[in-house]
Amino acid sequence: MVMISGASSPLYAKRRRRNIFTMGLSFVATGFGLSWLVLILAVLLWNGFSGLSLAVFTEMTPPPGAAGGLLNPIIGSLVMTAIAVAIGTPIGMLAGTYMAEYGRYDKLTYVVRFINDILLSAPSIVVGLFIYEIMVAQMGHFSGWAGAVSLAVIVVPVVVRTTEDMLTLVPDTLREAAASIGLPRALMITKVAYRAARAGMITGVLLAVARISGETAPLLFTALNNQFWSTNLNAPVASLPVVIFQFALSPYKDWQKLAWTGALIITLAVLALSIIARLLTAQRKSS
Amino acid sequence: MVDVALQGSAISVAEQVDRAKVLRRLRFGDAAFRNLTRAAAMAVLVILGGIIISLVYGSLPALRTFGFSFLYVETWNPVTEKFGAIAPMYGTVVTSIIAMLIAVPVGLFIALFLTELCPMWLRRPIGIAIELLAGIPSIIYGIWGLFVFAPFLQQYVQPFLITVFGHVPVLSTLFEGPPYGIGILTAGLILAIMVLPFITSISRDVFEAVPPVLKEAAYGLGGTTWEVARFVVLPFTRVGVIGGVMLGLGRALGETMAVTFVIGNAHRISGSILAPGTTISATIANEFTEAVGDLYTSSLIALGLILFVITFIVLALARLMLMRLNARIGV
Amino acid sequence: MSVASFTVPTVTHAATSIDGLLEKVSIRNLDFFYGDNRALKNINCSLYQGKVTAFIGPSGCGKSTLLRILNRMYDLYPNQRATGHVQLDDEDILSPSQDLNLLRAKVGMVFQKPTPFPMTIFENIAFGIRLYERLSKSDLESRVQHALQRAALWEEVKDKLNANGLSLSGGQQQRLCIARTVAVRPEVILFDEPCSALDPISTAKIEELIDELKDDYTIAIVTHNMQQAARVSDFTAFMYLGELVEYGETTHMFTTPNDRRTQDYITGRFG
Repeated sequence: MVMISGASSPLYAKRRRRNIFTMGLSFVATGFGLSWLVLILAVLLWNGFSGLSLAVFTEMTPPPGAAGGLLNPIIGSLVMTAIAVAIGTPIGMLAGTYMAEYGRYDKLTYVVRFINDILLSAPSIVVGLFIYEIMVAQMGHFSGWAGAVSLAVIVVPVVVRTTEDMLTLVPDTLREAAASIGLPRALMITKVAYRAARAGMITGVLLAVARISGETAPLLFTALNNQFWSTNLNAPVASLPVVIFQFALSPYKDWQKLAWTGALIITLAVLALSIIARLLTAQRKSS
Repeated sequence: MVDVALQGSAISVAEQVDRAKVLRRLRFGDAAFRNLTRAAAMAVLVILGGIIISLVYGSLPALRTFGFSFLYVETWNPVTEKFGAIAPMYGTVVTSIIAMLIAVPVGLFIALFLTELCPMWLRRPIGIAIELLAGIPSIIYGIWGLFVFAPFLQQYVQPFLITVFGHVPVLSTLFEGPPYGIGILTAGLILAIMVLPFITSISRDVFEAVPPVLKEAAYGLGGTTWEVARFVVLPFTRVGVIGGVMLGLGRALGETMAVTFVIGNAHRISGSILAPGTTISATIANEFTEAVGDLYTSSLIALGLILFVITFIVLALARLMLMRLNARIGV
Repeated sequence: MSVASFTVPTVTHAATSIDGLLEKVSIRNLDFFYGDNRALKNINCSLYQGKVTAFIGPSGCGKSTLLRILNRMYDLYPNQRATGHVQLDDEDILSPSQDLNLLRAKVGMVFQKPTPFPMTIFENIAFGIRLYERLSKSDLESRVQHALQRAALWEEVKDKLNANGLSLSGGQQQRLCIARTVAVRPEVILFDEPCSALDPISTAKIEELIDELKDDYTIAIVTHNMQQAARVSDFTAFMYLGELVEYGETTHMFTTPNDRRTQDYITGRFG
């Protein structure tokens, strides 16, 4: 009797070997990808942690060869980020609201969604050029306002996207229920839909903050940099990423050290923000 | 009053009128809110329009002076005010190609691992780790590349490449010259690490969107995991994967800070990928604030315009691909 | 627009009484379209004041669609339109100039799935009241209490009015939704398969509730459960493939239906 047994045929053995080989490759690829995360974080901690001291948060950026801290760029970053969020979030949320609620079936929504998705990954340095042209060149000087506005331009698409996504997840039955007691659309959206999508929408803002807190390119020729303490947003303002850029490329060891510390601070802030954002959405799913 | 309240159903005519009045007022607010959200949606289009108009306007002096030669001249001389974009364009394209050559296969294999092999309990943590990698700001990659990665390449990898390929025809030009550490290759490798998470997470998402029946049918015929992935999953998701790859490409083309640190900022086209070069974004980042003279500034803005046009096309194609996949799955 | 371009079918408004009943909602020659798809075909029937009218039929027959015309809920979506005449008292529901919010305040709706708003129990109800009326705190509280009592929920929630509405059980949530509807003092209440997501005990409570509410309101209920229709309704309409096959008093419909298809459906021969 002739047994055609697949399990012992040479063809099967070959297929099996190939499978093991490619699966092994995928395993290695994953290890390769993850090792970068580990490597980068390890180096950051190693180089940045030793420089972390109270002085970093209380002293100004030093001249070359002196000790100092990162107080002015930290404050500058915080202020510009806050303004950028204050400008970008309402625009983004309202636009996302139009797309998910009033204009869900409109042509305009399709166009805006398409453009927004492109802006989401568009090179941020181009945003810097844009704001340079419309603000810096017009006003004749670099300014904190210009920096904040260019960051706001980056915030908008992130918030638009998450707001639309989160509002789309709100079930239509809830909208119908709101309509059924005579609620006008605006109240249905602001009092019911927003409330149901709240966690997700906050997540969007957090992600936007995470995104801009490390952005350097759009600040280079809008907010520029400032060695000194300045609360004047009409003048150049220091920011953490730009200071890191300047200090890291300098030949001075002290500055390079501060650059590492600044990099660590930004990374920790960004990671913390994305973890909080993740927890917020996870909570939502489980409830 | 309380009596009326407790009575529940019957509503007086007077109250009807009141309700109508309240609703009229609310209707005004409703229209106002609707228009406000619509205006905000328009603002997204205005941002895009503003970017295009301001870039075109800013680059007019350069384009008028140099015309089409701006696109193919290699000279970049601030002193004589002669500018051509081909060197940074070349650098942008070559670094992105290197990045994609590495990131695409690795990203696809990671996505394959995450969707087919990885035990359930490990999928989320690894997925999160990959996404954290995507969240690290590019300047961190830059400083890491400059102080850690470039010296490492200079000391170990590049000498090795030079000795191995130094006598092979064609490849010897590719790996010609001293090991600088910084240069086109280094920038390309860092870009690869940066776009890897984007390609991975999009590929994973589209792989997961494959209807289970399709895979089950293939497994039912006795297919191995690799065969199912290669002959079922990949063909089914091809459009989406290409979309994800192009999204990563869009990122790589426009990435600024990570590249600026390690590219070397040299305005010339060299056959060797070990040589320093420049990209569009690195040129702008390095030179814009120091640019004196309208023509210099304008030339840099013209570079920005070229970059924006290229990335816009790539990203638009990426979105169209992803939309086509979604239409196919019926999302 | 020329007036004579179409003729208004004369609905005899004077004769709004069948055996002394008041016709609250009248539906005449009603068609409904999803895009080009005609989902309802020439529907004619009435809802009477103080009575419960049940709409039954196999799924997809258009009974929910019909219900959602009565408060113009379909207006939330594109490419859906109704033609014909639907009147609430003397008011044309389908008129383009109809104030939808005012209409929906008068024609309340309870849905298949309980849909409490993501807020406290108290707020779920106070929300709708506050929309139309400026009440003192105590008046508002008594209105909320009253609404919850009407929905037979007060005893169960009076100690946790500040708990989230979503923390209640499914049956309680559905009664909360009824209370919310009652609170805005509608004239008509539409129930769209209100018990299909509930257990038998909760279902019994809701049915009891409908029976209590009917004295004060005009009620329409869509159900796929014929026993339920028989238990709660005074009038029944049987729908099939977008048509109203038969409409009449429930007792009559369930004992001696005129149409063959009705007979087949209620005896379980198809559907």
